Amino acid sequence: MHNEWVSFINTSVPTANAVLVQPQGTTDAATGVTTPGAGDSWITVASEEVKAVCQVLKDGEHQFTTLHAITGVDYPTEGHIEITYILSSMSKNSELLLKTRVSRGDGVKLSKLPSVVSVWAAANFQERECYDMFGVLFYGHPDLRRLLCPDDWIGYPLRKDYVVQTKYRDMVINPANKMNFQEREFGARHEHIAGASTSVENYSVPAPVKE
Amino acid sequence: MKLQEMGDITEAPLTVRQYFSNIWEAISSTYKGMKITLKYVYGVKEVTIQYPEEKEELPLNSRSRLFNDVENCISCMQCSTACPVSCIYISAVKRDKDAPKLKTTSGSPVRLDLTMYTIDEALCCFCGLCTTVCPTECLTHTRDYEFSQYVLDGMKYDYLSPEIRAWRTRLVKK
Amino acid sequence: MQEKHRKEEKLKTELLTISMGPQHPATHGVLRVEIKTDSEIVTQAIPHIGYLHRCMEKHSENLDYRGIIPFTDRLDYLAAMNMELTYVMAVEKMLKTEVPVRAEYIRVIVGELQRIASHLLFFGTYAIDLGAFSPFLYVFQDREFILRIFEELSGARLLYNYIWIGGVWNDITDDQIKRIGTFCDTLDESLKKYHTLVGENKIFISRTAHVGIMNKDMAMDFGATGPILRAAGVNWDLRKNRPYSIYPKMAFDIPVGTGEKGTVGDCWDRYFVRVREMHESIKIIKQCLAGIEAGPIMGKVPKIIKVPKGEIYMRTECARGELGYHLVSDGGKKPYRLKVKSSCFTHVSMLPAVAPGLMIADLVATIGSIDIVLGEIDR
Repeated sequence: MHNEWVSFINTSVPTANAVLVQPQGTTDAATGVTTPGAGDSWITVASEEVKAVCQVLKDGEHQFTTLHAITGVDYPTEGHIEITYILSSMSKNSELLLKTRVSRGDGVKLSKLPSVVSVWAAANFQERECYDMFGVLFYGHPDLRRLLCPDDWIGYPLRKDYVVQTKYRDMVINPANKMNFQEREFGARHEHIAGASTSVENYSVPAPVKE
Repeated sequence: MKLQEMGDITEAPLTVRQYFSNIWEAISSTYKGMKITLKYVYGVKEVTIQYPEEKEELPLNSRSRLFNDVENCISCMQCSTACPVSCIYISAVKRDKDAPKLKTTSGSPVRLDLTMYTIDEALCCFCGLCTTVCPTECLTHTRDYEFSQYVLDGMKYDYLSPEIRAWRTRLVKK
Repeated sequence: MQEKHRKEEKLKTELLTISMGPQHPATHGVLRVEIKTDSEIVTQAIPHIGYLHRCMEKHSENLDYRGIIPFTDRLDYLAAMNMELTYVMAVEKMLKTEVPVRAEYIRVIVGELQRIASHLLFFGTYAIDLGAFSPFLYVFQDREFILRIFEELSGARLLYNYIWIGGVWNDITDDQIKRIGTFCDTLDESLKKYHTLVGENKIFISRTAHVGIMNKDMAMDFGATGPILRAAGVNWDLRKNRPYSIYPKMAFDIPVGTGEKGTVGDCWDRYFVRVREMHESIKIIKQCLAGIEAGPIMGKVPKIIKVPKGEIYMRTECARGELGYHLVSDGGKKPYRLKVKSSCFTHVSMLPAVAPGLMIADLVATIGSIDIVLGEIDR
């Protein structure tokens, strides 16, 4: 079924370069045993042609009339953000994950994608949330502003290198007198013993002295 | 949107017959409803419990305030790794080789001395993950639900302190 | 005469902007709807959300797979079992674990009981939004039984952490099975009574029929799912069309809106679809109670859960629509990205399209009928 969709997209929108990606199994080098891959397969398309591809998928024979979600995943080491469109068809009872990649940039100059609001009205809030959380602009969107964060928030929270700002308007974020420092220290202490042996020699922080 | 374009009510135009039918429907449906509600005035047993004089008995595995029986704790740190909100603070030191050997009630040897065991019950989300991974079952959920404090720091329960250790007789069954 | 004419020329009218603010008894949570009205008729309604944003998706990147289950509870806190079930099914599909049959039966019983509890709450709060004060407490008395059963099973009344990866936490006893059976019979009778009290009442019908019409095209375009889609006339339910767990063995119908008292897809249809869904859930529970098999309640799951590299999108039918989890894993102990697709999020985005032309009281009825929970919208 995925192969049909890939060939359909490539014939209808030739510049889309649709590629099918399937879950890869892993082969254990020592024993030679292959475990099959887990999860769903997906189709990658070029980012400029996303709107054209969505239009043919909705109007064509495959009738993907429902858009469920537009999500993003940040890959800082590879330098791109992967935007996923989760589509489904009620008449044909099928599901499709459609992915595209945009450059991550530095968080100040943002990458752009064409908006699919004219294809599905459901994309309105989904694209706004994607912009709010990842900093990807959707040109053609009627009202692109932040959704969950306040309108004058700085930064894109779901990026992996996000650091929260210290002040918002005139309120201090995470003020020192309200932070639970025991929790922070403890979390740091626990990083190196999670999963390791439970012997106490692993501690680098000495036990607190009772006053 | 202009005012004239809005309001597409697709009801049929009102006739005299419909007018009287509406009145009859309104009276009959209200009468049927009132019959049901009037039954509740005298026909139903009162369900209000006069709290705090009467208190409802909670089921046995209710997840309310936590209690840790530190005599039985072997400091395995499983509870704090399992906690999703990191509200359990533990630290322990290794016991001296010359110190007398201690065992828990279930028989496992105690190799570490607990120096701090504090649970911040204000952060706790009462999910129960810590109690399921405890190997000696010293950490349990009790059924106490009346434990509000005046100060937020009062919600940090230090289970090594003598006042909390004194609850042991009330809560732990031999 | 000339003076009066001059006075009328100077009279300017403007649209009045009202904030149906974050604290409002009828918005079912902290939702702010900015309404621009022309006297009593709404011309524009813009929802503002984000007042309950708790960054659950960012938190879940730092938690191990078992620790995320309490967080999924708190998404739609009024139907928590359904939230847990979808997440747990997504992880189990990636790990390829086998869930024992008894655990599947218990999950369906608990899930359908939760659906009944959530719809009972909708019934009570919708009636009280429109001014009917009595059904609220009648319905809460019935709901009390369900919460008591959940407390005996899991330990908590609202946020359970009961459905675990591989099975369920606690077993169900024969006594509880008998009590659920008697409860189902009494509830069947009571629901008919409640429907006569509220749904057949002429005042309720006048306030909800022909109001807030979401027809089939609008519902499909906006991606609406669940009772809103079914009230619009589309026969689509994930439990029948893409069955999961043991739903293939169950016999039940899917209620679809027919425009009985008004037009297809109005508020009365959405209300009545939920009432009929409760009857269908009772049917499913009775079949499960009759067919439950003995056996273990937890499958084989490794002590430290590491999901293999890959992605999955898993969706199930919850009380308010379709809930979907998009889980991206890089092979470690924590998810790389967990996205929650909530049905109420899409339903709230339909408000700007359905509001123009309604009066303010009709807007209250419409917002109540789409049955939103802000925890799921804002996450």
